[in-house]
Amino acid sequence: MMRRTSVLLTSAAVLAAAAACSSSGSSSTKSSAFDPRTCQGGTLYVLNQTDATAHHLDPARIYTSGGGAVTSMIFRALTTRHRVAGEAGNEVVPDLATDTGKPSDGATTWTYHLKDGLKFEDGTPITSKDVKWGVERAFAPELPGGIPYLRDWLVGGADYTGPYKGKELDSIQTPDDKTIVFKLRKPEGDFPYVATATQFAPVPKAKDDGTGYEKHPVASGPYKVQSHEQDKSLVLVRNPYWSRAVDDQRLACPDRVEGTYGLNPAVINQRLSSSAGKDANAITTDTNLSPAELVRINSDAGLKKRAVRGAFGQTIYLAFNTKVKPFDDARVRQAISYAVNRQAVVNAVGGSSLAKPATTFLPDQAAFGYQPYDYFPAGATGNAAKARELLAQAGHAGGLTITLAHRNNDGEQDGPAIATAVQAALKQAGITVNLKAYDEAGYADAIEKPATEPGMFVTSWGADWPTGGPFLAPIFDGRQILKEGGNFNASQLNDPKINAEFDDINKIADPAQARPRWGALDAEIGRQALTVPLFHPIYIRLMGKNVKNAYVEEWRGMYDPAMLSVR
Amino acid sequence: MTAELVAEAGAAPEAPARGRQVWRRLRADHMAMAGLVVAIAAIVAAIAAPLLIHLEGQDTTAYHSGLLDSARGGVPLGSFGGVSGRHWLGVEPTTGRDLFARALDGARISFLVAFGTLVVQILLGVGIGLAAGLGGKVADAVLGRLTDLAISFPQLIFAIALLAIVPGTFPRPMLLMLVIGLFGWGGTARLVRGQVLSLKTRDYVAAARLSGASRTRIALREILPGVSAPLVTYAALLLPSNMISEAGLSFLGVGVRPPASSWGQMLSTATTWFQADPTYVLVPGLLLLVNVLAFTVLADGLRTALDPKARSLRGGRR
Repeated sequence: MMRRTSVLLTSAAVLAAAAACSSSGSSSTKSSAFDPRTCQGGTLYVLNQTDATAHHLDPARIYTSGGGAVTSMIFRALTTRHRVAGEAGNEVVPDLATDTGKPSDGATTWTYHLKDGLKFEDGTPITSKDVKWGVERAFAPELPGGIPYLRDWLVGGADYTGPYKGKELDSIQTPDDKTIVFKLRKPEGDFPYVATATQFAPVPKAKDDGTGYEKHPVASGPYKVQSHEQDKSLVLVRNPYWSRAVDDQRLACPDRVEGTYGLNPAVINQRLSSSAGKDANAITTDTNLSPAELVRINSDAGLKKRAVRGAFGQTIYLAFNTKVKPFDDARVRQAISYAVNRQAVVNAVGGSSLAKPATTFLPDQAAFGYQPYDYFPAGATGNAAKARELLAQAGHAGGLTITLAHRNNDGEQDGPAIATAVQAALKQAGITVNLKAYDEAGYADAIEKPATEPGMFVTSWGADWPTGGPFLAPIFDGRQILKEGGNFNASQLNDPKINAEFDDINKIADPAQARPRWGALDAEIGRQALTVPLFHPIYIRLMGKNVKNAYVEEWRGMYDPAMLSVR
Repeated sequence: MTAELVAEAGAAPEAPARGRQVWRRLRADHMAMAGLVVAIAAIVAAIAAPLLIHLEGQDTTAYHSGLLDSARGGVPLGSFGGVSGRHWLGVEPTTGRDLFARALDGARISFLVAFGTLVVQILLGVGIGLAAGLGGKVADAVLGRLTDLAISFPQLIFAIALLAIVPGTFPRPMLLMLVIGLFGWGGTARLVRGQVLSLKTRDYVAAARLSGASRTRIALREILPGVSAPLVTYAALLLPSNMISEAGLSFLGVGVRPPASSWGQMLSTATTWFQADPTYVLVPGLLLLVNVLAFTVLADGLRTALDPKARSLRGGRR
């Protein structure tokens, strides 16, 4: 599940970055100031490589974090991300609900009440039963692709097959039209974060025809779908039954949104930088700048103003399979940690403007509980002497030959550019690295199955929501080692003490209390050198010259199209 | 151009000109001489690459983070892509690897693959051409269609597919030679067959046959020497074309594997940098251009020197 997640997140991150002009958080991009009262009108264009609604425009089938970028303009969920610049953007806030949820029974029961005056695009009122129907239908096998947590968390979720055969999920209760209660089989303090997903968007039972629903999804957000051609285009127009009076998280300035998908990344950036005609009102939600484009933009003050940077909680790292020799030996893993040249790796992906060197597995954002540590200080360029010393202790005084697996392209930052930089650095420490490239499909298959997992490989991780739990658990929780595939616990760490700590922290419903515990857990696991964190990526995206109020939301490091204006 | 050459060479089979005469004609051709000088220099440089790289004091894979402007996308510090006394052609953006070292290493790959491919092409082409020309009607028909197939085959697409599926453990330069060579012998075969058909009716061949010489002897001793002059010219033209093929395949990402370098691969990574760091594009681009041009001019000069009646492809000079 996470592989998918991380891919989606990457594209999501790609999606969003636009905002915060230069460095000052929220700022407008034109000389005339942005005024939310007069920002309405015009058409916003979205130029993307892939379908911004993840191919299927059905809230049950969409897998994004925080409600997504374009999708959150159509669908509202119980909660959503806080649409402000800066760290506060990592907070979860109420959307359809009046609050982010009331936990009881030790965070195993979560209760929500809906706001007044909520309506679908056809004017019918939104009730808690519509939300329940929306969650239930996400269990239907004919509507795959959504978040995996529902099945794992809700009581009875493991063998529920959706509402179409007349069976309800009893762990979701609707005592009245405004109230909805979720019963979980274990404490999950992060439930409000998951309730941002489109699976928590209301779906009217009367309009639901299963797999056909994606052709005419019913909007609860500021825009309704006029047309959608999968992987090609999307046109959104205003939903007359939505107003700012019932939604404090979306400005919805443009009258119309038009998405064009299937474009080449270089074409997208070229169109945004020339900003001609309609492209002046355009953004991209999935295309980052390449290093060479960055150089060009840095030498053009006008363009630089339209390049917005943002971080998304993500770490690119070297993963070890501790079941494969010589990586079962902690000294070898430590030697590699010492030898790695992070400066060279950062340069390989485009320099300090596009990547920040990392020594911790958790991203360096407060929301994750970031706690700095650097147990195997390699400095900027690597400590080959220390690495040689450790290798000698491990019985490899005469040098060591290992294989580093990587993807055969650099699109997802786990390709040859990083692998060759690591190879060159380890050579200084007497380690000969042979590179093994996998093609697109083969790579995920190989690294996500313990039986085929290489001893050492380049990979990345991004969480579904900005807390420590989804960032650490799939990678280090021993009960999440999946023999059949889809495994992300590459080191195959299964330590009862660490597993118990995961359970303990999941009981905490207050993010402020959970954060230091996640940070401490990361710092504890870091001692074992099970990964070599390389860098946290920074996203820089361009926008057309008419786009205003573009800021980076911290949750996903993206533009938030619901807050943009083109007037 | 090669087709035209095949036609002309086939139309005028001459007894081979004597070496000294050819050399005198070639020497009078200044363009060809310039091509020859460049070609020899390039080949010597490629062979002596490790020595020259050592002389510069660099190697092909070492990263130099300190020479890059990390905040500006990893572009080399200094002018002309970081050209300095220590890095004669500057360094590669985002890695800081020495461009002189990588370009020379790339030259080695380029020439190795180009010559290796040529050997494959000549062996296959001459073998099949001789067999078609001297064999019976059936053999000629079958081999002729086979040659047509080799010439009309969509080589590039097939080569990409083949290179993508062969396991990474197979030595890449060898694989490139085989793949380019296996599709590139058609022209040679057709040329040789044409020559053979015209030569085998000559009196001296008939005399040899009447005196009881075996077929093999006639093929190797009487016919093959007559084919050699146009063959040399054709081979000289195949060489730059092979270099382009290798560069093309490496450009498309199915050539040599990193961290090995080749001009095509360098060009491929350099294309996005043409505005930010023009030197990076110019180095492999100019090397490829100059070498291909030199070999082509040399081949043309050789052709006119071997067969003064043929018009130079460069036109009007005679």
